Amino acid sequence: MNLIEIKNVYKTYTRKRFLSFGKKDETPVLKDVSLCLKENRVLGLVGESGCGKTTLSKIILGLEKASSGQVIVDGKDISKLSKAGFKHMRRLMQVIFQDPYSSLDPRMNVSQIISEPLDIHGLYKEKASRRKVLEDLLKSVGLSAEHLTRYPHEFSGGQRQRIAIARALALDPKILIADEPVSALDVSVQAQILNLLKEIKQKRRLSMVFVSHDFAVARFLCDEIAVMYKGLILEYAPAEDLFSNPQHPYTEALFSAVPVPDPARQKKREAVSLSSRSDMENHPCPFAARCAYACAFCQTPPFLKEVRPGHFCACAALPFKNKKSSFAV
Amino acid sequence: MLDVQDLRVSFSTEEGTVQVLKGLSYSLPKGKVLAVVGESGSGKTVHALSLLRLLPPTANIEGGRVLFEGQDLVALSEKQLCKLRGARISMIFQDPMSSLNPVLTVGEQLQETILAHRKISKLRAKALAVRLLKKVGISDAARRYGQYPFQFSGGMCQRVMIAMALALKPQVLIADEPTTALDVTIQAQILRLIKDLQQQTGMSAVFITHNLALVADVADEVLVLYGGLCMEKASVQAIFKNPLHPYTQGLLNSLVSINKKEDFLPAIAGHPPIPGKECPGCPFAPRCSRALKKCFQDRPPLFGKKGHQAACWLLEEKA
Repeated sequence: MNLIEIKNVYKTYTRKRFLSFGKKDETPVLKDVSLCLKENRVLGLVGESGCGKTTLSKIILGLEKASSGQVIVDGKDISKLSKAGFKHMRRLMQVIFQDPYSSLDPRMNVSQIISEPLDIHGLYKEKASRRKVLEDLLKSVGLSAEHLTRYPHEFSGGQRQRIAIARALALDPKILIADEPVSALDVSVQAQILNLLKEIKQKRRLSMVFVSHDFAVARFLCDEIAVMYKGLILEYAPAEDLFSNPQHPYTEALFSAVPVPDPARQKKREAVSLSSRSDMENHPCPFAARCAYACAFCQTPPFLKEVRPGHFCACAALPFKNKKSSFAV
Repeated sequence: MLDVQDLRVSFSTEEGTVQVLKGLSYSLPKGKVLAVVGESGSGKTVHALSLLRLLPPTANIEGGRVLFEGQDLVALSEKQLCKLRGARISMIFQDPMSSLNPVLTVGEQLQETILAHRKISKLRAKALAVRLLKKVGISDAARRYGQYPFQFSGGMCQRVMIAMALALKPQVLIADEPTTALDVTIQAQILRLIKDLQQQTGMSAVFITHNLALVADVADEVLVLYGGLCMEKASVQAIFKNPLHPYTQGLLNSLVSINKKEDFLPAIAGHPPIPGKECPGCPFAPRCSRALKKCFQDRPPLFGKKGHQAACWLLEEKA
């Protein structure tokens, strides 16, 4: 069953200019995005900054409204929910943000931080049961009861992210939206948090939307991955299929940019150039200006096409591209 | 090129003085890139700032020497140091957006750097600045010269910072996490650019990062820093092939691979020490799975051959 269904979502930010007499600047940030999240799966949204991945996660959470299209969470359209319905939705779906330094209130201690969602929803009102829940939550994220009375500034980045995860888990949600939860952390701590996210996903049978710009991280955690660029999904596939068989030129370029911790191999690797050409700004394909394969074939706007079972790619030049590379070999 | 000897830096806080660097020594050979790798709180940025004495007023260089062309940078007067900064030794900072002045055009800032050190006309300085912008890969450089930082993307700002750092052909470049705020694709481009320019001009560079994976691409030598102490020093090949220190091994193991799907990451347990509250022995001992009793009491010296050294008691027998 699909827990989240995103159907043809568009989002455009408009800005009124000073003295523009009704004219507006329109910036499209999401264009015809359709995705779904299945039970106990992790959907990865991967792309560079400005590709719309965070906007999409905000729309799923109901923090932003889509300009058109539908987001259906657990069978209900989130844009049509009443206030009470929306509150109920929050118990189903929780969020972890990127920066654990700004997502925790510095004036609340850990106990207050994790209690807040429980207070809002009126759960575990009795003192003893509340304490038990808080302790269990902390334990499940690798902290202990003695941390309850401490304040965020006493914790390192990794520990703060653990507190944020505990807060997200307090209402026992079915869905977790994680917006770059490890990109602000050191590499060694990042590994701990990734392990923790994987563990709670399995233990609690959670579904997750995982936003990241790092493919290595996405491979570790995600079951399905959507590669986004300028508000479009360029490729969507099961994670393992995407990594063994990347189709879109953009996906290939992103793979080649991830550094490999091996000097001998890294020196041989050739990063695919992503230099942009200014003469192709109004091209129907948004990626054409940076694409090494842009050609006469891509004069039509790209749309997602199934190239292998379950593997979708939006590139009009794809047949041509594969031929070219096989010639090169 | 640069010879750092027993550098010690402390900060005075409300709770007393806290030692952040506890005797760091290394030498940077001419034309080579040394990577300093460490987690947050390891003292890597403090080390970079102390090389040029850019530390905040609460910090104090307690001892040690930084030798550059026979001069000790720690002992130089402020005036003498100003002549070196930006001209002979320059620096790139972590966050390009906040290190550029938002109310001056990019060109004015570049020109300012050049004019501060060289007696040439404004016109010639401008021509030089435009040439530099071209060199770091900014297209349409003449038009871009007159634009403000907010009109540039993060990667472009970092290119401008690099242009500024290289404007006066320095002998040493210090790059403090130059790609941490950037996307992977932009990161790859910036690393390539730094490496290319370093090879073209033959300058030496100190490259500071928390990500060991980046080091493989740019560095010749690697120094692993933890809790203000050097844990391991080696060539880049040796660090990846045969890491001696458990911390280096842990760091390498905790990297996520793009080449295979892993079920579990062998992360280093625990968290980095809070400066001032480290273990009196090896700072890594509380997180080390192979720690001996000795590790908690005595600080290990560097063991090993000259080319590959590590500070770990486990290596004592071999030495």
